[in-house]
Amino acid sequence: MSVLEVDNLTKTFGGLVAVDDFSLEVDEGEIVGLIGPNGSGKSTVFNCIMGLYDVTDGEIRFNGEDITSDSTHQIVTKGLSRVSQESNPIDLYSVSENIRLFTLPNSIRSLHGGASDEEIREYAARIDIEDKLHEMPSELPHADVRRLEIAKSLATEPELMLLDEPFAGMNQAEIGALAAQIERFREDGMTMVVVDHNMGGLMELVDRVVVLNNGDFLAAGTPAEIADNDAVQEAYLAGEGL
Amino acid sequence: MISTILLLGTVCSTVTGRIGRVAGTLRRQVLWPIGRTLERLLAPIDRVLDPVADGYNRSLGPYFGEMSGLQFGVIAVSVAGLLTAGTWAPMVGPLLGGGLLRTLALASIWAIFAMSWDIQSGYTGYISFGHSALSGAAGYTTALLIVHVDPTLSIWVTGSVSVLAALVVGLLIALPTLRLEGPYFSLITFVAVLLFYRLTTAFSLLGGIPGFGQPDVFTWDPMVRYYYMAIPMLLIALALTFMARSNLGMILIAIRENEPAVSAAGLNPTKFKLWSFVLSSVPMGIGGVLLVGFTGNVDPSTFVVVDNSIEMIAIAVIGGMSSILGPLGGAFLFEVLNHQVLHGYSTPVRYLFLWLIVLFVLVFARDGLFRAIWHRLGAVRGESE
Repeated sequence: MSVLEVDNLTKTFGGLVAVDDFSLEVDEGEIVGLIGPNGSGKSTVFNCIMGLYDVTDGEIRFNGEDITSDSTHQIVTKGLSRVSQESNPIDLYSVSENIRLFTLPNSIRSLHGGASDEEIREYAARIDIEDKLHEMPSELPHADVRRLEIAKSLATEPELMLLDEPFAGMNQAEIGALAAQIERFREDGMTMVVVDHNMGGLMELVDRVVVLNNGDFLAAGTPAEIADNDAVQEAYLAGEGL
Repeated sequence: MISTILLLGTVCSTVTGRIGRVAGTLRRQVLWPIGRTLERLLAPIDRVLDPVADGYNRSLGPYFGEMSGLQFGVIAVSVAGLLTAGTWAPMVGPLLGGGLLRTLALASIWAIFAMSWDIQSGYTGYISFGHSALSGAAGYTTALLIVHVDPTLSIWVTGSVSVLAALVVGLLIALPTLRLEGPYFSLITFVAVLLFYRLTTAFSLLGGIPGFGQPDVFTWDPMVRYYYMAIPMLLIALALTFMARSNLGMILIAIRENEPAVSAAGLNPTKFKLWSFVLSSVPMGIGGVLLVGFTGNVDPSTFVVVDNSIEMIAIAVIGGMSSILGPLGGAFLFEVLNHQVLHGYSTPVRYLFLWLIVLFVLVFARDGLFRAIWHRLGAVRGESE
């Protein structure tokens, strides 16, 4: 069954068409890679799904329910969460408090609700930063800040997680470790869409790849099929050429 | 022309460089040794008070914030001092120019205003330049009820309706503006207070410049009057501290630091900002009602002028924004300086001096004096042992 359906999504900024009639379906339990050269519209698709941008045309459904015009917090409450490309922890709060913020109920009456210390530790442990809970985000190395972003996302108890360039700025060892952790999420039953402009990091992780180019659907298939696809290679070469 | 600019630039950079060096020397050779000596003296007190503070931390700490022994001692002494001011202020007052109970009563009202401003603007970062419109709404409602409806109405009736009026004005400002980002929110609150000011002077129905003299003061007894102002102030401080140390305070600060992250956490920022405005408007209304009972006159310059809004911000800045208790301390510092320490000078000179202090705090102690003191108190043993 499809968890996420993006139907004929179009997003324009003034005269610029950033995403053009793009469709995507994600089934329960799979990891889909959404790739494309820089500026191909991948992050715009994520921003539309998460309600950060008003959609120009098209429809987005989550578990069959139309979420096209929902605001971000409603979408998150329904079980969709996004790990954004930029790390934006709150520097005044410790790692543990940053995670706790993401567990607080959306209610002005709930003055002392939210996750217990034990639950926060569990979220952190799923991405291996449970020994950093009392540190401040500014003290963490880059890879741990990225992990904190994932822990925050996990703390909203998502069914589907959108990961935007999760490997950016990481070295080979860190990429390997993170890929293994993402693999573990899948074993726990999480559905994921991973955006990357780089095909390499994703190929062993994902079940299926969708390629965007200039806001348009270009190709879809297994990682092996995509790697051999001439149109994809040409798009990447053209992108590199720019 | 260009050479003049270059010359000015060189002079400015030399002067600021020198000020920076002087400040550095001052800090190293004067402030640090004083701080270390104080720490050595205070550490034993901190240790003695620790068991009491621990008891508090276990029972009430989760609701009002945890404290070290010394912090607990300072709060206890301050609260005791405020509660017993009726007995000691008349004795100490003459040393400071007299009228100390009056100043403390006024400081209590301004503490309410500054704390109310803080829970909304200090916490969310949506800076309001128009909070005097809220206390003004309450003050004018009381006056209009007494003048136009029934002069014998009880304070409970006029007070409740006035607080409600402050809430309504607060929501009228907040509802259309809280979705706006950047300077627009601040500008609209600023325009709101300018509008209100012109409204009060443009129509005789609203009393014009002289305002309304009909409302009665609560009492002429300075001691009773002080307690009429101080007790509500302490209760509001307690309530706002409780709110600020809860999830709500955490979310409001997160809105200030990174609003998109709050949405990403599944929390509706607009709802929480609106609630912060409610939490701010209600005590602003109470403060407005108390100010009527203090002055017995409702007029634009006591209640509405934009200077009042700016003064609330100044007090919060001096004390330390987003801490509730910082603005409380700031109010007492500001008013005692204004009406006691500087009482020999004319109003313009006093305000010149007060605004210079605000500038000084903004440049050298941006987090506020009382927050800085609070953190030092919390760390006396951490650094001396």
